Amino acid sequence: MDSVPSNSHGNLDEQIAQLMQCKPLSEQEVRVLCDKAKEILMEESNVQPVKSPVTICGDIHGQFHDLAELFRIGGKCPDTNYLFMGDYVDRGYYSVETVTLLVALKVRYRQRITILRGNHESRQITQVYGFYDECLRKYGSANVWKIFTDLFDYFPLTALVESEIFCLHGGLSPSIETLDNIRNFDRVQEVPHEGPMCDLLWSDPDDRCGWGISPRGAGYTFGQDISEQFNHTNNLKLIARAHQLVMEGYNWGHDQKVVTIFSAPNYCYRCGNMASILEVDDCKGHTFIQFEPAPRRGEPDVTRRTPDYFL
Amino acid sequence: MDLEVDENDLKAAGAELFTDGVRRGIRINGWLIESRRHSILNSSTIQEWEQKLDTSHLPEMVFGENTLILKHLTSGTKIHFNAFDALRGWKKEALPPVEVPAAAKWKFRSKPSEQVILDYDYTFTTPYVGSGSVEIDKDLNGGEISKETRDILWEDCKDQIDVIALASKEPILFYDEVVLYEDELADNGVSLLTVKVRVMPSSWFLLLRFWLRVDGVLIRLRETRMHCVFGGSTNPVILRESCWRESTFQALSAKGHPFDSAAYGDPSIISQKLPIIMHTTQKLVISS
Repeated sequence: MDSVPSNSHGNLDEQIAQLMQCKPLSEQEVRVLCDKAKEILMEESNVQPVKSPVTICGDIHGQFHDLAELFRIGGKCPDTNYLFMGDYVDRGYYSVETVTLLVALKVRYRQRITILRGNHESRQITQVYGFYDECLRKYGSANVWKIFTDLFDYFPLTALVESEIFCLHGGLSPSIETLDNIRNFDRVQEVPHEGPMCDLLWSDPDDRCGWGISPRGAGYTFGQDISEQFNHTNNLKLIARAHQLVMEGYNWGHDQKVVTIFSAPNYCYRCGNMASILEVDDCKGHTFIQFEPAPRRGEPDVTRRTPDYFL
Repeated sequence: MDLEVDENDLKAAGAELFTDGVRRGIRINGWLIESRRHSILNSSTIQEWEQKLDTSHLPEMVFGENTLILKHLTSGTKIHFNAFDALRGWKKEALPPVEVPAAAKWKFRSKPSEQVILDYDYTFTTPYVGSGSVEIDKDLNGGEISKETRDILWEDCKDQIDVIALASKEPILFYDEVVLYEDELADNGVSLLTVKVRVMPSSWFLLLRFWLRVDGVLIRLRETRMHCVFGGSTNPVILRESCWRESTFQALSAKGHPFDSAAYGDPSIISQKLPIIMHTTQKLVISS
């Protein structure tokens, strides 16, 4: 099922085993891995079709040990099929290990795992929120950051589970009425500041109807009327998205037309929130599984404040 | 306590530390100082707060039960900090929204009939300087106790917080930092309200800080400091200094500072680069 020659699986399997222990690959290994990933990802559609059963996951944000916990709870890849809706990097301490593992799994089991693009999979955002600095710290140069951010341009933007669950990082766009609109645009680029591609990665559902325009510019908000219309037009049952922190790990909205899934427990190591994943079974039934942070090993406890003589 | 405190220092100061679940604190010189840290609010409490505050938008992370309390036991004077009062201040001040450059373009893509302009202050800027009250237990007939609460009265003054005394490396007996709310501004910067406290043998000192960075647009820092020197027999006096600083990215870069947001991660470091737009000093004399 995979086009990678079988003799290279051994190597890749070793790399995955190493990454599962939260040990990063060498720069050269990352380069080779991302070259392979690029070939695979460029074949995927802007609306990548996915079959059930599949487990749908939200933001991870470099919380590697919680991703490992997610695999313990949801089942190992490839025993369980996964669909990740972006935001692998930034904020947490292990963006490098987290994104490398997911990309390695993608290369090894391309039919078993789908990795979408989140708004953090971008050159601009990662320079402010941690991934860039982490690459510098762990590799001594920005090369690995460059390799990954170049790869992010190829990540698909959305996925469609069994033609009825539309999955994406952010939300809807006033410039997009049908899934075909999305299929038709050229996604291989840095996430623009404005326009439909940006909306898909940044928008949020809101209690207010219509399209909400925020002066802060980051995406639109869309009301229940918009979700209903979009689902109706495209024969969808549900929009599954990530992008927003919710205490319970998931949150229904818009009369169950939209669900938010967040998979980073105790976000930023101090919010105390639950994480969740959504299992869609063979019969398209839905089950949410909530989980708490993994026991921590060697991570700085940010709730411990070091006294300082602040003035 | 997280830090290693020398038992001898505590004993010499006549102080006592305590922890009780999420409560941690110290008793010292007639003061009870404690902090409490919890998770962010859950969905149903968020809805309650939205109703009470008459808003449909709250910060992404509201640490609604986090608090710092400083209570002077004999007078019943209580200074405390919480997210709800701070957000009430945000609602009341109701600043016009800060517009990011990209936002101007957004208005033209959706049908006007379907447009809603979200014109609330998404930065959650608050004039909050802390909450306070005096709680007096009144002994009614027959030993019944009724609690009477009145406001505390701060008066303007010319005194200043003794920064030199605070810079001396006296042992810190109790220290904590509590987040009240935080928002990532949808990855356009940060809005963060925290309060931190340190208690030494001779005084307590706290810093309430509202820190805002709207990437590429604006930096705002509103700080309130309170200092109370333990004074033996005299009535305790709390000095309170509030200082508001603000600058646009444009103005900063015109002065030769970087335009890049990554350069503005730590408010303590960049504070001096920001011009002061408001400064007040007040004091509270506690009468027992």
